[in-house]
Amino acid sequence: MKEVALFIPCLVDQLLPEIGTSVVKIFRKLGVSFVYDPRQTCCGQPLVNAGDRKGASQVAKHFISIFEGSEYIVAPSGSCIYTVKEHYPRLLADEPVWYQRACGVSEKAYEFSQFLVAILGVSDVDTRYEARACLHESCAILRQLGVSDEPKTLLKNVEGLELTPLNDADVCCGFGGEFAVDYPDISEAILKDKANNFKASGADILILGEPGCLLNIRGYMSSNGVNGHVKHIAEILASE
Amino acid sequence: MNLQTERFKEIARENLANEEQRKILSQFSLILKALRDSSFAALPDENAALEKGRKIREDSVKNMPYLLETFEENATKAGANVVWASDARQANDFIVSLAKEKGANLCVKAKSMISEEIGLREELTDGGIETYETDLGEFIVQQAGKTPFHIVGPAINMTIKEISNLFNKTIGVPKTEDPTELAISARMFLRDKFKNAQIGISGANMAVAETGSIILVENEGNIRFATSVPKTHIVLMSIEKVVPTMSDATHMLKLLTRSCTGQRISNYVSVITGPKKAGEIDGPEELYIVILDNGRTKIYSDEVLRGALQCIKCGMCAAVCPVYTHVGGYAYGWVYSGPIGAVLNPLLLGLDRARDLYHATTLCGACKDYCPAGVDVRNIALDLRAKEMDGDKSFNASNPPVGLKRLYRIWTWVLLHHSRYKIASRLMRIIMLPAIKYGKISRLPGRLSGWTQCRDIPQLPPKSFHEIYSELKK
Repeated sequence: MKEVALFIPCLVDQLLPEIGTSVVKIFRKLGVSFVYDPRQTCCGQPLVNAGDRKGASQVAKHFISIFEGSEYIVAPSGSCIYTVKEHYPRLLADEPVWYQRACGVSEKAYEFSQFLVAILGVSDVDTRYEARACLHESCAILRQLGVSDEPKTLLKNVEGLELTPLNDADVCCGFGGEFAVDYPDISEAILKDKANNFKASGADILILGEPGCLLNIRGYMSSNGVNGHVKHIAEILASE
Repeated sequence: MNLQTERFKEIARENLANEEQRKILSQFSLILKALRDSSFAALPDENAALEKGRKIREDSVKNMPYLLETFEENATKAGANVVWASDARQANDFIVSLAKEKGANLCVKAKSMISEEIGLREELTDGGIETYETDLGEFIVQQAGKTPFHIVGPAINMTIKEISNLFNKTIGVPKTEDPTELAISARMFLRDKFKNAQIGISGANMAVAETGSIILVENEGNIRFATSVPKTHIVLMSIEKVVPTMSDATHMLKLLTRSCTGQRISNYVSVITGPKKAGEIDGPEELYIVILDNGRTKIYSDEVLRGALQCIKCGMCAAVCPVYTHVGGYAYGWVYSGPIGAVLNPLLLGLDRARDLYHATTLCGACKDYCPAGVDVRNIALDLRAKEMDGDKSFNASNPPVGLKRLYRIWTWVLLHHSRYKIASRLMRIIMLPAIKYGKISRLPGRLSGWTQCRDIPQLPPKSFHEIYSELKK
């Protein structure tokens, strides 16, 4: 069996630990041999997005040192995986040895649903979840990683889960990290469309694979009294 | 052109409140995307076509110095006068004095973004040469004294009623809400201008190095008119418009019209190689081609940033941008709007004068997916942010807000060791305690108040994953 290093992004670690425990539950159920290295912190994505390349390079090196020994690196977040895959080699391009190490790590980093379907060959995790749901295709997963069929395949095989289409499912939710904080008016307008599309879908649960989008959409719905739940795909797959 | 880039947030807020415009924008995006998708689906292999186009633009920009020389040589052979201008001042001065030299008092113009960039119409008018925009959208914008709202559709945000009132006031035609009648009024008004103008000015969608030809794409016939009736045709083009061969150009043409308006081909495509030849009936007696740099060589010298020069100004990125489709084009404050404007305006004006533009992006990357020219706006925006943070002044980056650099330095220090990260995590939980009301955080202070403006943090879990997991393992 493959040895997997589980990376729990800082947002999940600090604010959404239930996503992490769901991943653990699924890994155990599927018999995935994994390790969680307690020395891990964050991939440095906020620093990359802020333009702090110096800080981001240091954090990248920290990450690489911890994770490079494993066969696979898996995280329940597309944007963190994209940071590792795309930004690490770019950040360390001027340091030949580190660049090689960054490329090594880049090759084995996978988003959670992608790993289950594409690497483990699992399309059915044999679980039940009674709900009418739709899927928001987060930009980092859909556009940056090109992962779209994998989460759909996994969800299709969840017993009791009725998937309904979401209008503009592939349109950004308005998160963008610091964007949500620094341009709240625009972010709110984009979010409102997402919430309205969700309402119109008739679903009672919105499923996605990106912790940032989850905090953004869930926070908006809670603050604006929009009915329904927002859940990470791992939480659905770990339900039974 | 009146520079408004520093008012981004303010203009964005005003435009967000314009419900009618919001409706137009969402319709515009929906319709254009559908037209674009169906026109691309008609290609034998749309992904291969896109990849080929991206490669053509990447190579064209990479080989720009050589291609420009070849273009000059071949255009000159074909009888054109090629003139180089390093900045807006040189280009404007040359064109205005040339027009004066020809004794011109009337000029008709095709829609051209580069002419907006240098304020050519205003310069000509100030020089005593009456100048008319002849593209319907651009004519409306000129009559209204506004700036283009979109690269391809400069007046898409204006309603029929607004245009009717405008035409009634400026060209004295009766009010009507029939768009066809309004278009006819504009055409009738412009017909005389076309006939009597001594100078016709156009931009260039592409310049073909191999043949020295200029390619112009349009739907209304106004460009064909403006470039064939007046005795003198002046082309104003920026340096990145050049492509190597006619075959490259025709490939780009397929992608350009599909991405501009969702058309497989536009109503008119003009290929202009030199002025009217002996025995030909139509065409200008003289053709001038002004090749303008205006800050682009500097962009070219940076390998990441030069990607912005690959843009073919189709405007598709705006239609798929979550920011543009909400705030519209005015917020970008200058000639170029949408994702490409978010990076091109700062690059051409200086980062310090347009800081919000490359920060106000969700980094979703939809623009890159749709771009037929391979522009990676997301990556360029990140690069501009890095220039600012690094204190790299090559594009006049301003210093990041006070304290921001220090904040990131501390953050980095925290992330470099798990024990510091753990302490910070506990500290955060303690600091956040007073903010928790009814089980959630609805108001945060300072910069973070932007988050809680429309969102809360539903719950702050008592334990981090890390803590839960170490207990799980026991």
